[in-house]
Amino acid sequence: MKLYRAYLDTGDTYLLAVDSKGDKRVVKTDTNEFTIEYLGKGTRENEYLFKVNGTIHRVYVESGYVLVDDASVLRLERLTELPTKEGESIEELIKGKEGEVISPLQGRVVMIRIKEGDAVNKGQPLLSIEAMKSETIISAPVAGIVEKILVKQGQGVKKGDVLLIIK
Amino acid sequence: MPPFNRVLVANRGEIAVRVMKAIKEMGMTAIAVYSEADKYAVHVKYADEAYYIGKAPALDSYLNIQHIIDAAEKAHADAVHPGYGFLSENEEFAEAVEKAGMTFIGPSAEVMRKIKDKLDGKRVAKMAGVPIAPGSDGPVSSIDEALKLAEKIGYPIMVKAASGGGGVGITKVDTPDQLIEVWERNKRLASQAFGKSDLYIEKYAVNPRHIEFQLIGDKYGNYAVAWERECTIQRRNQKMVEEAPSPALKMEERELMFEPIMKFGKIINYFTLGTFETAFSDATREFYFLELNKRLQVEHPVTEMIFRLDLVKLQIRLAAGEPLPFTQEELNKRVRGAAIEFRINSEDPLNDFSGSSGFITYYKEPTGPGVRVDSGVTTGSYVPPFYDSLISKLIVYGENRAYAIQAGLRALNDYKIGGVKTTIELYKWISQDPDFQEGKFSTSYIAQKREAFLKYLKQQEEMRVALAAELQARGLMRSSSTVQTSSNKTSNSAWKTYGIMSQASPRVMW
Repeated sequence: MKLYRAYLDTGDTYLLAVDSKGDKRVVKTDTNEFTIEYLGKGTRENEYLFKVNGTIHRVYVESGYVLVDDASVLRLERLTELPTKEGESIEELIKGKEGEVISPLQGRVVMIRIKEGDAVNKGQPLLSIEAMKSETIISAPVAGIVEKILVKQGQGVKKGDVLLIIK
Repeated sequence: MPPFNRVLVANRGEIAVRVMKAIKEMGMTAIAVYSEADKYAVHVKYADEAYYIGKAPALDSYLNIQHIIDAAEKAHADAVHPGYGFLSENEEFAEAVEKAGMTFIGPSAEVMRKIKDKLDGKRVAKMAGVPIAPGSDGPVSSIDEALKLAEKIGYPIMVKAASGGGGVGITKVDTPDQLIEVWERNKRLASQAFGKSDLYIEKYAVNPRHIEFQLIGDKYGNYAVAWERECTIQRRNQKMVEEAPSPALKMEERELMFEPIMKFGKIINYFTLGTFETAFSDATREFYFLELNKRLQVEHPVTEMIFRLDLVKLQIRLAAGEPLPFTQEELNKRVRGAAIEFRINSEDPLNDFSGSSGFITYYKEPTGPGVRVDSGVTTGSYVPPFYDSLISKLIVYGENRAYAIQAGLRALNDYKIGGVKTTIELYKWISQDPDFQEGKFSTSYIAQKREAFLKYLKQQEEMRVALAAELQARGLMRSSSTVQTSSNKTSNSAWKTYGIMSQASPRVMW
């Protein structure tokens, strides 16, 4: 099994755990599981057919963009493989990333309420990010010690950027 | 003869472009203003002339009366259109425009002052016979009085600040204990925020519909009501999907409102476009007047579609002192079909509708029968984080509501925006929801359906990501780009090209 982090051009990130079973691939995400089978090229240029959980989808590639069923557009900016330990399950893998506080949106860091070495409780406000006239408060996903703060006040952040790490 | 020569549009984005289209069609010069963040924006390019008015934050630019008046004088404008939002309902701005010798395309400062307070609006509504929610007639002086009144009209109730606006200073109260608790706090908050601590109470409408009526008036006391718009589908008091006519109203029910609304207009000598927002209960079939919006609404195109009218052009002509060109009977006869508007916001439904700013890297607009797009962006546009997240509006039309929904789903599938997140995928889900298709919804629709659409949207998005990753892993992203360039290659030999051309052309080539 391999673990990937997919970065979209909108700033979203997704964790994908990919398992190969013959010519099929089982992709586990945060809340879903997909069995993907490649059926081959479609009848048009740049068209590829995939069977996902029993349903056939037409995927069209246009200069870096992926169009699914000619309805939704998406661009994958980066796909990085994350190190995994032998015998770890997907739940454990995703849990290992829990202490990483990731920016849920694009914006600007307006206030950091904690410093490195502070002990934080679960749900405690850590910092605020301003975007589109509104301020979003980021709270601690787990209790622990703030190991590292990776952003500065006033800094612009993209969605998916790691803001700080709690151990 | 156009009514004005040079019209400045004191707004940005899609509404600025929309208003300029009307200005250009009427043979006038369209003048834009822009902030630092909008240097390359569509509305700036689309205008005949454009003037810089300040830094990116709205207070330095689109909300800065002095900067806009300076630009208007520099441009020798003879009229100013405020659009919606920003300064559109600001009586000081209207006054400043009038003082500078230009026409403000909207109500006069004098008219705006007559219904400045929410309670003023309520009082006039009562006089005109527009139904209002049971509650206090004026500000409630003490907590004892409030408790007594609340007992009479029944809980739940709303405690509102008389000078509040935009959803600020409104609290829902369920019990007497809660009322005592909320009272002092809201009084303090109201005096801090609005400088006036007047509070009043009103019966809370449970799961109402939000229905608004379009009033059109001229300077000579003639009025007509261009029916209603149903704007029930909202999140956090912000409208998302609007339609006309409302699927919930019968002709008798809507007609009942026309007379009182026109009378309201007459009492305050209102002219130009105005919108009466009401809460409508499916169970009791009653309307409660909420407020009068003294501007062009975001959702005006749905009314334009079913009446085949251009409200912006009409608004400009009315501001120039032209009389209303139709009567209520003539207007009623114009209605055809149904129209739905989807507000395309650059925000993330998966993340509690938080704003998504950035560059639009991929952009394809839908076209074709029954489709209208009022957009303020294109490929390469920057969506700044400083202003509203509305980037475009998709309006669809059909001979009836079912056909409009079909056109809507098709157009939403054709509308492709990359680089920022939008509400398009959510609207596809709504369009296919049986409750929406049957017109069964209330203002809590988005909150009620939240779990269902979040699950669907997340599943769809994760599937697309998995497919994109699969393409990448198979190396299909790369091969496709080379295929595309080689297929576009033309023949190298000029003789070969000549040969093909001469065979293809039916004409002899000399």
